[in-house]
Amino acid sequence: MAALYAWRAARVTPLGELLAPPRITAALLRLTVQVVLVASLWRGLYSQTGTTAGLTRDQAVTYAVMAVLASRLRELDQRSGRDAVLQHMHFGTIIYWYLRPLPPQRYYALRAFGEQMYGLAWALAGYVVCLATGVVEPPKSPAVAGVFALSMLLGQLVLYYVMLLIDQLCFWTLRNGAAMLILIFAQNLLSGVYAPLWFFPDWFITMSRFLPFQATLSVPLSIYVGRVPLSDAGAQLALQAVWVASLALFTRFLWRRAARRVVAQGG
Amino acid sequence: MEAVRIVWRITRLNFRAQLEYRTEFLLMIAIGAIWQVSVIVFATVLLTRFSGMGGWDSSDVLLIPATRMMAHGLMVLFLGRMHGIGRYIQEGRIDIYLVRPMPVHRQAQLEYFPTNAIGDLTVAGGLMVGALSRSHLDWTAGRVAYLIAALLGGMLLEAALFTTVASASLRFPSADYWSRWVEDLLGTFGNYPLNVLPRAVGGFLTYGLPLAFVAFLPAAVLTGHGHDIGVPYWLAASSPLVGLLLYLAARLLWRWSLGHYTGVNG
Repeated sequence: MAALYAWRAARVTPLGELLAPPRITAALLRLTVQVVLVASLWRGLYSQTGTTAGLTRDQAVTYAVMAVLASRLRELDQRSGRDAVLQHMHFGTIIYWYLRPLPPQRYYALRAFGEQMYGLAWALAGYVVCLATGVVEPPKSPAVAGVFALSMLLGQLVLYYVMLLIDQLCFWTLRNGAAMLILIFAQNLLSGVYAPLWFFPDWFITMSRFLPFQATLSVPLSIYVGRVPLSDAGAQLALQAVWVASLALFTRFLWRRAARRVVAQGG
Repeated sequence: MEAVRIVWRITRLNFRAQLEYRTEFLLMIAIGAIWQVSVIVFATVLLTRFSGMGGWDSSDVLLIPATRMMAHGLMVLFLGRMHGIGRYIQEGRIDIYLVRPMPVHRQAQLEYFPTNAIGDLTVAGGLMVGALSRSHLDWTAGRVAYLIAALLGGMLLEAALFTTVASASLRFPSADYWSRWVEDLLGTFGNYPLNVLPRAVGGFLTYGLPLAFVAFLPAAVLTGHGHDIGVPYWLAASSPLVGLLLYLAARLLWRWSLGHYTGVNG
């Protein structure tokens, strides 16, 4: 029975997407154009240069295209489904999260899981097409593919906890619009969505080591394209695991504190 | 004159309203700045790693993001509320606008004060000063006048793109999704010489989604690259006019779409 409830909660946002064909068409067109543009940009940039920052042209194109595909993983619009924490705080409906026979933290996790699975379907479909058309390179070996998959899983967990942290902010500030936008910019810049972190100056790479963002995308993609060799991957995976564990503990603590702040009908 | 007075009064009130949540106010300024700084960092990284991008000198390339970011900041300040209007439509607020004695477009623009524009314009202004000081061009009165016209044209062109999406949102509220994409594309591909891209892709970003007219083409004209960009010189030189014409067309589309708008109550 619990599995049935979990399934029902997890499929809410994906179902909302599937029932809106214009959104699916838009997502498909957007992803296609973005992949073509990004691949063209990096090929154009490399046309007059060889290996730069330890990345060849094919590695850079693969990295950039896979970053675009990975950014699909959590791009669903909870706002249109009126289920963002910000909206619940604004309208007072957050109280229902605490009245259901399902703890709010589990409901939140199930919703996020459903969204990420739906995003994963998109990313995988895009990856297969890009691989078949030669836009991205295949992994160098099965071992690289396996370590990449593990690193990507840890990266998605880090991203989940970072986004949860921003949502939890609403319990104290009521609004998190500005913080969410800052997070998106930071995530895009510091995880290597805009450009692989290897292109950035040393001080920038050092700074990003102290932040969780590079663990979300830069680490798995660097392993995939071979910029981080398998011999060094262990340390990177350990760092990702540390981020997952520390963020999990911190957000767990915040859920408990947040529950004390929720009042119904004025207290 | 009365309309200007009302607009000014509402804008002042909106600004005071934004000040009510001090942390949010400061964060919104930070957002504008962070967004623009992230664009600068990315552009700088590419310029450092790939010198001579598209055959352009790095000081010439810098003029492209400076122009685009300044135009973007002005757009956010004066005409930016068309971006994200789908939410007002979904929440039925547009129906309230329809019964008030003020044009709907103006009411939408006066919905709130765009605090992030302060950060946007501060960083964009800094980059523009940097780009102009590094430029080897002779900044005659004609060039300066053309740059100002290009900034206004870029502002209008960006506003035209968001107004077009907003017009579609009146019929399909989920069309608002596209405005985020347009903003992403402008931020990613509006800052470099588009001749590094294959001709077909460059053509799409010129004639399909005309973001080349925001900064790339005016910068090409100003820096003397106007004859080797794959676009007729007269068209590149007319970029500010293209921005104006597209904005007027977008406003006509908005008016037409509003005339055909049907709220949830019919």
